Amino acid sequence: MIRKIPPAGWAGAALVAGLCLFPFAMALITGQPVGEGAPKFWQGMLIQVFILAVYAMSYDLLMGYTGILSFGHALFFGTGSYVLGMMLKHAGWPLWQAALMIVVVAVAQSLIVGVLSLRVSGVYLTMVTLAFAQMFFILAEATDFREWTGAEDGLQGIPIPSWISPTDQRLRFYFVALGFALVMYLLARRVVSSPTGAVMVAIRENEPRARMLGYNTFVYKLIAITISGVMAALAGGMNAIWNLNANTAMLGVGTTINALLMTIIGGAGSLVGPMLGAGVLQLLGYWLNAAFGPRWPLIFGVVYILIVLFFPYGLVGTWRLRGAGLLALWRRRLGEARQQV
Amino acid sequence: MLLSVESIQTFIGQFHILEGISLEVPSGSITALLGRNGAGKTTTLRSIIGLNPPRTGRVLFDGQEIQGRPAYEIAALGIGYVPEHRAIFRDLSVEENLRIAERRKGDLAGKIDFIYELFPDLKRLAKHPGGKLSGGQQQMLAIARALVPDNRLLLVDEPSEGLAPIVVEQIVASLRRLSDQITVLLVEQNFHMAAQLADRYYIVDDGHTAHSGKMADLAGDQALITRYLGAA
Amino acid sequence: MTNFLKQNRPLIIGSLAAVAAMAWALSQYEPKVAASILLSGLTLGALYFLVTSGLSLIFGLMDVLNFAHGLLFMVGAYMGYTLYANPRILLNTLPLLLALAGGAILARRAAPMLPKIPGGQAARWGLWALAVALLLLGSWGFDLAPLASTGISAGGDVPTAEAQEALGLFVGRLLALAASGIAGGLALALGQPFAGRSRGPRGLVLGAGLLALALLIAPARTLGEGAILGLSSNLRFLIALVVGAGSGAALGGLIEWSLIRPLYSRPIYQVLVTLGLVLVGTELVKGVWGPTGYYMDTPDFFSQRGEACPSPNLVAWLGDHCASIDVLGRPFPSYRIFIIALGLIMFAAIAVLLRRSRLGMIIRAGVQDAEMVQALGINVRRVFTMVFALGAGLAALGGVAAAPFIGVNPGIGQEFQLQAFIAVVIGGMGSYGGAAAGALLVGLARAFGDQIVLSGIQLPFMAEAVKFSPSIARASTVLIMALVLLIRPTGLFGKKD
Repeated sequence: MIRKIPPAGWAGAALVAGLCLFPFAMALITGQPVGEGAPKFWQGMLIQVFILAVYAMSYDLLMGYTGILSFGHALFFGTGSYVLGMMLKHAGWPLWQAALMIVVVAVAQSLIVGVLSLRVSGVYLTMVTLAFAQMFFILAEATDFREWTGAEDGLQGIPIPSWISPTDQRLRFYFVALGFALVMYLLARRVVSSPTGAVMVAIRENEPRARMLGYNTFVYKLIAITISGVMAALAGGMNAIWNLNANTAMLGVGTTINALLMTIIGGAGSLVGPMLGAGVLQLLGYWLNAAFGPRWPLIFGVVYILIVLFFPYGLVGTWRLRGAGLLALWRRRLGEARQQV
Repeated sequence: MLLSVESIQTFIGQFHILEGISLEVPSGSITALLGRNGAGKTTTLRSIIGLNPPRTGRVLFDGQEIQGRPAYEIAALGIGYVPEHRAIFRDLSVEENLRIAERRKGDLAGKIDFIYELFPDLKRLAKHPGGKLSGGQQQMLAIARALVPDNRLLLVDEPSEGLAPIVVEQIVASLRRLSDQITVLLVEQNFHMAAQLADRYYIVDDGHTAHSGKMADLAGDQALITRYLGAA
Repeated sequence: MTNFLKQNRPLIIGSLAAVAAMAWALSQYEPKVAASILLSGLTLGALYFLVTSGLSLIFGLMDVLNFAHGLLFMVGAYMGYTLYANPRILLNTLPLLLALAGGAILARRAAPMLPKIPGGQAARWGLWALAVALLLLGSWGFDLAPLASTGISAGGDVPTAEAQEALGLFVGRLLALAASGIAGGLALALGQPFAGRSRGPRGLVLGAGLLALALLIAPARTLGEGAILGLSSNLRFLIALVVGAGSGAALGGLIEWSLIRPLYSRPIYQVLVTLGLVLVGTELVKGVWGPTGYYMDTPDFFSQRGEACPSPNLVAWLGDHCASIDVLGRPFPSYRIFIIALGLIMFAAIAVLLRRSRLGMIIRAGVQDAEMVQALGINVRRVFTMVFALGAGLAALGGVAAAPFIGVNPGIGQEFQLQAFIAVVIGGMGSYGGAAAGALLVGLARAFGDQIVLSGIQLPFMAEAVKFSPSIARASTVLIMALVLLIRPTGLFGKKD
């Protein structure tokens, strides 16, 4: 049984184990209790990473796997946040029902947006998705619906059940977020390794050909948008819990751009890449902010352009390309060493 | 030699399309490039003009190395390209389709009478958009376009494709008339047409130049024709 | 004719429906209100057109979706405003940029005439490192903040001496940057063995000219600032239009040449790189001009007030230059008439360029088949750069024109870009007429929306007039786009692919 697990699987398991131990290790190192001070702060940092990781991964299902460049992904993320907030705050629903509602709304939304925007392709689709997302952003800001959305203030003070409260029960929420990311990752992996995932990749590589082989590519693209939309919406819901609010920025272009940045930095076309990208973006943002103050997006933008120009495959892709070479070189060296002995 | 191609290798994306093509086109001749679909004939022309630059090997035009230079520089040396499917500019009028090929002001003025004499149809249709022309007329326009500047070599790709036999005859007649002023490298599936026009031939098979010689000899060698070109 | 009708049935039905809807909506208002809605729609449409046309031309010719187009609009607005109200920043930065560019062009063009530099790749990297080091040296400690902060918005003498760096230091910077440009230009020339041959002395003259210009401006900074601010506001505004459009075009050309061109083999990454530019550009603009906006005065030509105002008609306005003109009994700002006129003039000018000039012919041919244009012996890449610069210049011109109308702030680019995208989708990408029609439609829709926000609209079968917030007026254009997508995915004038 053990033989069947590939090295990457072991690395993944080690990573998850490491993340499970992280809060306690942090507490040991700093000497502070696990629920306070630095350990608590870094748990929060990683919670944000977990949520963004799921969001970025859902984006990559579209961009990296199916080859659909959408600029409206914030639509799903933000809607997830707002739906959770409204269900808890205005409808007074329990959490699990709110989560179910997120799924229902996300499915409906991605079907509508998908059917409309898939009528066009390429950069057209990019513009159309952007426009749809902006429409929801503008509507969330609209004063007409202040009663429900809180307009430009956002939906503040969402009543989160106390057992999962990110402020009082940080450690518990840390594990919930970690579990959420893990489950979503396994689901996404299930999708991409399924026949549907294979068709998605075929569409990315050569859509006319996939169509010629008899696949209704429209339906498959719609499936990709829906799966991706639901995942992003769930991540958005988690984000609302973590922030205790839903605000218009979650629907804004900035949120879409974040998904794109995480995916590009981590490497499009892999599931791990965007998750890694989320970590890099979050930590880099934190450090750059500490080092350069509020002008840090400038530095970040320059880094991003350089990555697009010189490392188009991102961290994971570049590693796969170069790493294979390095590994071969290393093995050869080992072999030579052995022969000399 | 006006043009010599020395064992060029060309990749398109991941695919190794040309695996060593060599050929020579003497001044004043019509040389035919024959071969099956997908053998690499079109890619050979595109490699010469610089649209798919070869990765290795040399291309010499009039003794000058031209491989690796941008297509517009290669064309400006005096090579006219008549591509597969004609690539007529649909939204430009026939006259504009000719005028855009000028390299110096006045190129067209000096040639227009000759072109309209060669292809009287084009004169009649001068103001029509290129997209409204029939296939044969588009082919004539594509050839005429390559005649506007002072080109010394024409690369002509599948001029007979999709045309009625009587139109093919017209094209053949016009190319034959041109052959005493200009050198032609002709890619052709229609063996009958190639045999009528060309002095020499090269057979391309699977990215290699497999065979070459005088056209007159090939016409008699049924075995060779069947082997490389299928039924003639 | 019947054939035309048949082929374009959705288009015709759509246009008729649009006209009918518009006529109905207009009939809900008094004529004077309806007229001002139409004029406001035309104003917005003209501005959208300036953004959309460039976007559409660039996409049509080179398949690049330029997400930085709104950024260029904003840069145009800022540059125009700066020249108009506070040219000090320009006069203190322009020579530096000129020196850098001049050095680079000079070196690049001179390189083939120089003896070959030994060392190959190593020499190239060495030169790049030298260029970066000199660039850092030349710009070390250069502070824009005092230059921006002391700016006043119009006229009069400005105490500039203490805000500017001493002439000696400034010239030192110039020389360092020129040297950096020369090193960079040589490195570039080394990297491209075939480029830059046999171009003649034009490049050399241009490079040397830019350098000389930089050195000329340097000692005349204070003088130049006084001279510009001493001009009449009309003249200054005219110069601002030219400078704004010109700097947008220059920036656009630079973007295409440096960032877009290496990525033609990876189209998605072109979009991604322009997106990165938005991040960087917006931050830079905030860094130089501050995160808050500015208000730009309308020039005197459009801002007279007094007894006779508002002018009774356009002809009378030519005499009295009132801030507004009477339209059916309602005053309408005369500056907006100028925006409409500018839009119409640019529409006609570009149409003539496309139809009548050789460049236009090449663009129309290139939209269909850029490769074939290349094979005819035309340097398509250079045409790409020119068209990118042209489109960028148009957007920037729109930015300057919009500045006195909506003000200058770091957010205007994004708002205009979104509406321009919608206009392009409605009109059909790569179609010049479509770009204009889409821009006009979006502009009119916005104007209607704004009016409904003000006074509501009486819908049939409803007791009270419906009113909503400005946000919904902004979002409504997306609905129009969705409708067009449903009926005709390629846009109203898009070619069927």
